[in-house]
Amino acid sequence: MLTEQMPKIEVRPEFQSSPASEAKEKVFELKGIDVSYSGVPAVKGISMEIGRNEVTAMIGPSGCGKSTLLRCLNRMNDLIPTAEVEGELLYRGEDLYGPNVDPVQVRKLIGMVFQKPNPFPKSIYDNVAFGPRILGRKDGLDETVEKALRGAALWEEAKDRLGDNAFGLSGGQQQRLCIARCIAVEPDVILMDEPCSALDPISTGKIEDLMIELKEQFSIVIVTHNMQQAARVSDRTAFLMTELDATENTRWGRLVEYDVTEQVFTNPSDKRTEDYVSGKVG
Amino acid sequence: MPDGVRVHYREELERLEESALGGLDMVSIALGRTMEAVEHQDVELAQVVIADDDRIDGRYLEVHQSLITLLATQSPVATDLRLISALLHVLKSIERMGDQCVNVCKVIPLSGSEAPVDPEMVKLILTMGEFTRPLISQSKRAFEERDVEMARDLVRRDDAVDELNRECFRLALQIGDEVDQREWAMTMLLAARAIERVADNAVDIGEQVAFVVTGLFREFEDASHPS
Repeated sequence: MLTEQMPKIEVRPEFQSSPASEAKEKVFELKGIDVSYSGVPAVKGISMEIGRNEVTAMIGPSGCGKSTLLRCLNRMNDLIPTAEVEGELLYRGEDLYGPNVDPVQVRKLIGMVFQKPNPFPKSIYDNVAFGPRILGRKDGLDETVEKALRGAALWEEAKDRLGDNAFGLSGGQQQRLCIARCIAVEPDVILMDEPCSALDPISTGKIEDLMIELKEQFSIVIVTHNMQQAARVSDRTAFLMTELDATENTRWGRLVEYDVTEQVFTNPSDKRTEDYVSGKVG
Repeated sequence: MPDGVRVHYREELERLEESALGGLDMVSIALGRTMEAVEHQDVELAQVVIADDDRIDGRYLEVHQSLITLLATQSPVATDLRLISALLHVLKSIERMGDQCVNVCKVIPLSGSEAPVDPEMVKLILTMGEFTRPLISQSKRAFEERDVEMARDLVRRDDAVDELNRECFRLALQIGDEVDQREWAMTMLLAARAIERVADNAVDIGEQVAFVVTGLFREFEDASHPS
């Protein structure tokens, strides 16, 4: 469904709720993923599975490759000419880096929200309608915009000022607008790269509530420096940390532990995870 | 001084553990005095134990409050979280142990100033006290050293105290028909039961040791499912 040859895009099969005890369906499968920039490794040997309709958090110290890994999941690294991704990355069983896969299509299905809110210098309405318009949608735009703004818990605050410039919104509102813009194209997965690091606690709380609501429809992968945020919102947590080569000149990220969040924060199986989550190392 | 980051937090947690476990030394002294009071029917010494229990309760309140503050301000996770949870349980056990010593001391005046009706029963109770004090210190050491095997061994030692308690019960049944004799025996049974509970609380502390180390809480022994 990622290839250009396929005329009709299955955006997202209908969500079916399943009891928490059941094994979740996989949305991503990473098998031995290595990423390097200009031949310098950034992450090495990452193998993990990311569940559908779950929030998966990636934590770890600065430079451990969390964002690099996140960017692999929707081929954002393609935009960096020196970036190279090796290994196998399956999205719903299909090779995300296969020769016939259209990266634009990938980014439509797998949206991204960034650290700093980045609305376009347009009205609130036009920000949300941007993606659907690009995709050629003309009918039902009003409904789409309203649905996306409601989905991002921004409708009540924005419904009377849809024509206002998005820059007039507060930081937290702008970030929710970016989430609305992301979900307006009905993606399957939302990637979030430290989405709350520029927000105050109230706005952070709203975004966190939103994540828990959004995972009913979408699969979410979040990179965060805030460990309590990972503990609060995620179902599973991946802990990455940097590893040095013998000369200590080159460093890269490694997946140390990946488990159910409760386990990671109450009884981690790896000493390095324990030291990191309890703040013994920086 | 702990290495790494969050040094003040780590120091505070270490201090609180030391302070909580220090409560076990207080209980051990209280139990020693309680046994002495039982042996000599010393009502004044019993009063000292009762008054001193406020110190054990004070320790409980002080450390408990500080642990709640750490939970609220430091968001402890993993082993730190388990340690704090375990210390809250341990504190409760210590407070209960102190109360059991008070319970024994309260019945000493009831046993009267006459010579004991059955010296054998008093001897059994004193032996229970002798067996229980090392259990208290062993529970403390097992916690300090995070030694699950040492913690588990508390069950074996507690069994001996339980057996002495049952023996007290058997002696009480044979005490005779006189009302005074039966009253004395009932009073002594209450004392034996209280000491038996102190030993049980030491086993509870052992279970918390296993929780801190393994992350799993399992009762070593359960009254409804004896091993």
